[in-house]
Amino acid sequence: MLRVRHLARLATLALLLTTPFTAPLAQAEDDAPRLASLDWTLAETLVALGHPPVAVGQVPAYHAWVGEPALPDSVIDLGLRSQPNLERLAALAPEGILISPMFANLTPRLERIAPVSELALYAPGEATWSQLLALTRALAARVEDPAAGEALIDASEARLAQLREGLPEANEPLLIVQFMDARHVRVFGANGLFQAVLERLGLENAWTRPTNAWGFSLASLEELATLEARLVVVEPYPRGVEARLADSGLWQHQPSVAADRVITLPPVWSFGALPSAVRFAELLANALESQP
Amino acid sequence: MTATPLTHQPHRPRLAPWLGLALLGLLMLGLALVTLAGQGGAGAAWRALFAVTPGDTASLVLHYAWWPRLAMALLAGGGLALAGVLMQQVLRNPLAAPTTLGVASGANLALMAASLMAPGLLLGREWVALGGGALAMGLVMALAWRRRLAPLVVVLAGLVVNLYFGALALVLLLFHQEELKGLLIWGAGALAQDGWGDAAFLAPRLALGLLAALVLLRPLRLLALDDASASSLGVSLKHLRLAALGLAIFLTASVVSVVGVVGFIGLAAPNLVRLAGVRGLAARLLAATLLGGLLLATTDLLLQGAGPWLPTLIPTGAATAALGAPLLLWLIPRLRLADKAPPTATPGLGPRHPAPARLAGVLALALGAALVVALCWGQGAQGWQWLTHWDVLEWRLPRLAAAAASGVLLALAGTLLQRLTANPMASPELLGISGGSAMALMAAIFLLPAPGNLALVAAGTLGALASLAVLVGINRRSGLRPERLLLTGVAITALFDAVRAMVLAGGDPRGQLILAWLSGSTYYVEAGSALTVSLLALLLGLATLPFARWLDILPLGAASSQALGIRLNRARLALLLLVALLTACATLVVGPLSFVGLLAPHLARLLGFARARGQLVGAALLGALLMVLADWLGRQLLFPDEIPAGIVASLIGGSYFIWRLRRL
Repeated sequence: MLRVRHLARLATLALLLTTPFTAPLAQAEDDAPRLASLDWTLAETLVALGHPPVAVGQVPAYHAWVGEPALPDSVIDLGLRSQPNLERLAALAPEGILISPMFANLTPRLERIAPVSELALYAPGEATWSQLLALTRALAARVEDPAAGEALIDASEARLAQLREGLPEANEPLLIVQFMDARHVRVFGANGLFQAVLERLGLENAWTRPTNAWGFSLASLEELATLEARLVVVEPYPRGVEARLADSGLWQHQPSVAADRVITLPPVWSFGALPSAVRFAELLANALESQP
Repeated sequence: MTATPLTHQPHRPRLAPWLGLALLGLLMLGLALVTLAGQGGAGAAWRALFAVTPGDTASLVLHYAWWPRLAMALLAGGGLALAGVLMQQVLRNPLAAPTTLGVASGANLALMAASLMAPGLLLGREWVALGGGALAMGLVMALAWRRRLAPLVVVLAGLVVNLYFGALALVLLLFHQEELKGLLIWGAGALAQDGWGDAAFLAPRLALGLLAALVLLRPLRLLALDDASASSLGVSLKHLRLAALGLAIFLTASVVSVVGVVGFIGLAAPNLVRLAGVRGLAARLLAATLLGGLLLATTDLLLQGAGPWLPTLIPTGAATAALGAPLLLWLIPRLRLADKAPPTATPGLGPRHPAPARLAGVLALALGAALVVALCWGQGAQGWQWLTHWDVLEWRLPRLAAAAASGVLLALAGTLLQRLTANPMASPELLGISGGSAMALMAAIFLLPAPGNLALVAAGTLGALASLAVLVGINRRSGLRPERLLLTGVAITALFDAVRAMVLAGGDPRGQLILAWLSGSTYYVEAGSALTVSLLALLLGLATLPFARWLDILPLGAASSQALGIRLNRARLALLLLVALLTACATLVVGPLSFVGLLAPHLARLLGFARARGQLVGAALLGALLMVLADWLGRQLLFPDEIPAGIVASLIGGSYFIWRLRRL
């Protein structure tokens, strides 16, 4: 999770990246620095770049909530992302540690182990997509493989453009939600990953209300009932919620539900970077094609 | 009882309170009409109450969400207020309420545990909540049983149970934040409805509860007399109290299981009704129930109206609690409480040790041994290892030093407080200083873009000072009487709980950081801060010793102390400042939750440190020992994950405390 809303961080990015932390330029490509990442979004981007981190915080939870791209088996679990096990981290002796600004208070301690890069994502007032690209390039530079970064960006852009071509002609506005309990959902809107993907695909988001720094609003079901939109539910459902929804008068009468047109997508990391964006786009486009 | 007016006074009917209720009702209706204006107006709403117009989404929302929500707010508020009146009458304690007695936190914990370990049970989540609530209340009663359920002891026992269950819930949350995020919303008291099911569940239970309360009316009136008079009238006090409390728990758990933890209504409605001059138990039951329902419904309508402008949902229950805390602070000086402090320091808490100095030496040796073991022995990359090289020790030493030092600080604060209030249940957590400090830290984490440790420390100190100012400001006029101070602490802690619930319910990912800090981790300690806190512990420890004479005399009571030449107000103020300083330093290192301040002085007394000086030294050593063990255990139990030392300490301390409760 770890998103960032701090503009100044982006400005410092370039600085961080040009600083030669570790290996000299002469190093071969497969000798990319061994990095540890406390942040899942940074970790998934590193995996997609072909330079997976050596250690990540909360590996089992990563597999439950981010899913793909999967971390290699060799990745070591550092414990809680907010309190990584410092003894274990020190024993691994990584060449760099990646964090998001949310855990900036760890920096002084982590710096004693290895240089710390603070990478920011999701600053309000800036287009999420261009921030995703900037983050990808920044990470690619950090692993000293800028080509991989450009390749990932090109592949992602191409895939999204291709998906956009394949979409049915007319699409009604969508409402992307994730259930918190039987009566409350996160609705994803401005300043979030899903919104950025919808824009790239040329789809309309029905949720125009203000969102928080992570690009979602917490809303109760009644606030969705009157919106003319097709519902997209991102799994997982919390336990017991599906059973309760079956009995819920409000839910059963919701236009999308009553018409049996709700789209259900498998879990996607809603605070992710390019890999999660492409995955969400693919799942959504497939669903829209198969259930127009 | 001093808090309820005697019921046999001739009572003149007073209209003003009822007029006030009617006005509040009108206000609620007005608000309802305003919120309805955007949804088709009152006429459409009335028709939607009975049936949904097919294809009309507005009538759908009105029928399945708006009306049930209004009904739920009225029912839940009424139910909580009714439970509050019963609890206050039974315990003769104006501060008894569903939240202060731990019922809500017990229900909350039970639901969390069930959703992680036995999700099948959630089909009957009402019963899970009921079980948890009854268990918590049972613990509170058991803790206070030997003191014949004396009012202040019951409230303090409730706070202990709240803290203990809160610590357990925090462990679950820390490791399962994503799975439990739905329960965070429920825990903050969200009233959103999706049909009539829950209202239909709650209504008959409340009706039953009200009926039972009316049946118990006559014997309950007798409880307003003091124990001796009531007993002489042939009332079995314990059984009557148990029956009425059981009823109050049933009501609370029914409400909590459907709408979550709604703070403050159960406490405020009965007190407001009484302050407005409603006399007679039957009238108070009725008026408080009405007031509770109206208060909650009005707050909820206001929040619904503000909804579209807020980026996130504010749960109504936490909002009432946050709005209510200032009112509670206003209320406290106006409550009439027993002038007599609760029974003085526990008699016969173990023998007096013949040679306290030798005992202290043994403890110091044990502490040294524990430090060495915790420093060198533990799990690493190759399993269990005994390590002595510096690149491992450099990580362990600062946190162990800080853990030990904060243990010393809290133990000293606890000793001072227990002797000052002549109450073995007093502890620094209960004064609200930890809570104030924690609130300021949460604000810093949320408002500053990338808070560094210095900013966090500064914020925490400011928060601790602010709560101290509130504490002294409100209680100066009453002469800083210990029991009043503790009540103010209860109010500050309630505000802290509400703010925390609201922040966590929003689902902001920074909640993870807040949870980590709240759970009292020594994780963030660096060499510099470890050294600072160790020196502080030493200095402040030495600073407490000159107070030993006061501390020997104060538990004898106000009259004896004055006779022996102690100027009470000045002595209390000086000791309180010291306690605040000790608590603030410790809170900044290990967070607001720990039972060390409660447990260490208690254990020291139990081992035979009878005099103040001995108890201070003994408690300090025991506090350090406890925190060192907690830190070590926390690092090993779930390796490589760490359980914060504060939580481990409160779980050890709380378990011991509850196990020992029969001796209290």
